[in-house]
Amino acid sequence: MNEKDKLEILKDILFTDDREYAEKIAKRIAILEQTINEQKKLTTKVSPIVENQLKEFTKSIPTSLGPTITATLKEEIKKNKDEIVDALFPILGKMIKKYIAQEIKLLSEKINNQLSTKGWKRKFKSWFGGIKEEELILSELSSASIEQVLLIEKNSGILTASYSKTDTMDQEMISGMLTAIKTFVEDAFNQKNQNLELIEYELYQIHLQSFINYYIAVIISGNYTLTSKNKVQDLIFNFYDQFMDIKKSKTLNKDVIEKELAQNFNNADI
Amino acid sequence: MQTSKKIVILGHFGVGKTSLIRRFVEDSFSDNYKVSIGVHITKKVVEIAAGDSMSLILWDLEGTDDLETIRNSYLLGTHGVIFVFDVTRPSTFQNINTDLKIVTEKLPNIPLLVIGNKTDLVVIKELEELLNKNQISTDFLTSAKTGDAVNDVFLKLVNQLNGAT
Ligand SMILES: Nc1nc2c(ncn2[C@@H]2O[C@H](COP(=O)(O)OP(=O)(O)OP(=O)(O)O)[C@@H](O)[C@H]2O)c(=O)[nH]1
Ligand SMILES: [Mg+2]
Repeated sequence: MNEKDKLEILKDILFTDDREYAEKIAKRIAILEQTINEQKKLTTKVSPIVENQLKEFTKSIPTSLGPTITATLKEEIKKNKDEIVDALFPILGKMIKKYIAQEIKLLSEKINNQLSTKGWKRKFKSWFGGIKEEELILSELSSASIEQVLLIEKNSGILTASYSKTDTMDQEMISGMLTAIKTFVEDAFNQKNQNLELIEYELYQIHLQSFINYYIAVIISGNYTLTSKNKVQDLIFNFYDQFMDIKKSKTLNKDVIEKELAQNFNNADI
Repeated sequence: MQTSKKIVILGHFGVGKTSLIRRFVEDSFSDNYKVSIGVHITKKVVEIAAGDSMSLILWDLEGTDDLETIRNSYLLGTHGVIFVFDVTRPSTFQNINTDLKIVTEKLPNIPLLVIGNKTDLVVIKELEELLNKNQISTDFLTSAKTGDAVNDVFLKLVNQLNGAT
């Protein structure tokens, strides 16, 4: 645009007569009317604007709404602490377990590299105990199996759901008694955050896993080794994860929970 | 449908807590006194309507003359409580209002029934006068030995619990 052109434009602006001006405006209005009437035309014009605004808005959420959302979340967490911890428990439990299992594996590999402890222990036992080595191996292999699983309300000791391979004693009474024993032991040692984890009872081992509002008791027969214990823990955590989902979605339905229990623990290889 | 409720039975030593439960659950009685230690748990299922039943998980706690000493952890999640005293031994009921206050502080907002037991050993008329004079009100006067009014205690509790749910 040279000086001359600029001058022309200036002239145009300053000296256009009113009639011409009015005509121009009328034209503009006509175009506007047309645009408004034709939805398509309008949308193509408006959409990018809305989209843009939306993008801007999303970008600004952290600063504009962020504090409100954070405050609301904090409040919700405060109000439902137990529920949230309960929901996190299985996840955290699994994570911690994985970590510890890994560490233990490393440790035992180190030990095994140095000497085969188990073999030697067995040899000693067989020398001193007069039992054949093969028999000892066999007894170590007699595998553990899950007899019963009880999902128990922590405070009242009331049985919420159960799985049972064999029908033995009244499960509601077992639940109450286990709760009384657990409460007593935990109370007696006065350790609020420590939980009773294993009860040995005649031929059975009772594995207890506490959560916030519930605990799970798994009654096991046979040789309950560390490996089995590890597997049982996984089963418990997996089940509890599903249980939390059931709890979230429905009012506690015993049949649904028991189906889940059976699915997790029936014929489980431990 | 079957619901389950945790009931605790409290009271001083030897007032007949265990005997009341045994009468209710097994319909039997023994004169032999075996001191309860810790807690013993029994269960009885009561029909409340056709197809509906309530499973009472009865926590029989060892007796204590000082109710403050009861382990609070044993009381967690309790749905109903029965307080028992021995009508033949004033020491088990002379401070009953203080005792009951402790109980309701430990177990607020749940049904509580007050029971005077061993009525077979006293003259009911005289007993009622004595209780009136001392402003002691009870829900039931029972005898675990004869079975008198024992079922009524538990049925009343079941009704109260049923209404509450
Ligand atoms: N005559 C009579 N004796 C009773 C009655 N109830 C209980 N007894 C007797 O009183 C004694 C104590 O009874 P328990 O039922 O053991 O009393 P408890 O309250 O459970 O006692 P602790 O658990 O030790 O506090 C026993 O010898 C019973 O036979 C009753 O209704 N009548
Ligand atoms: Mg007793």
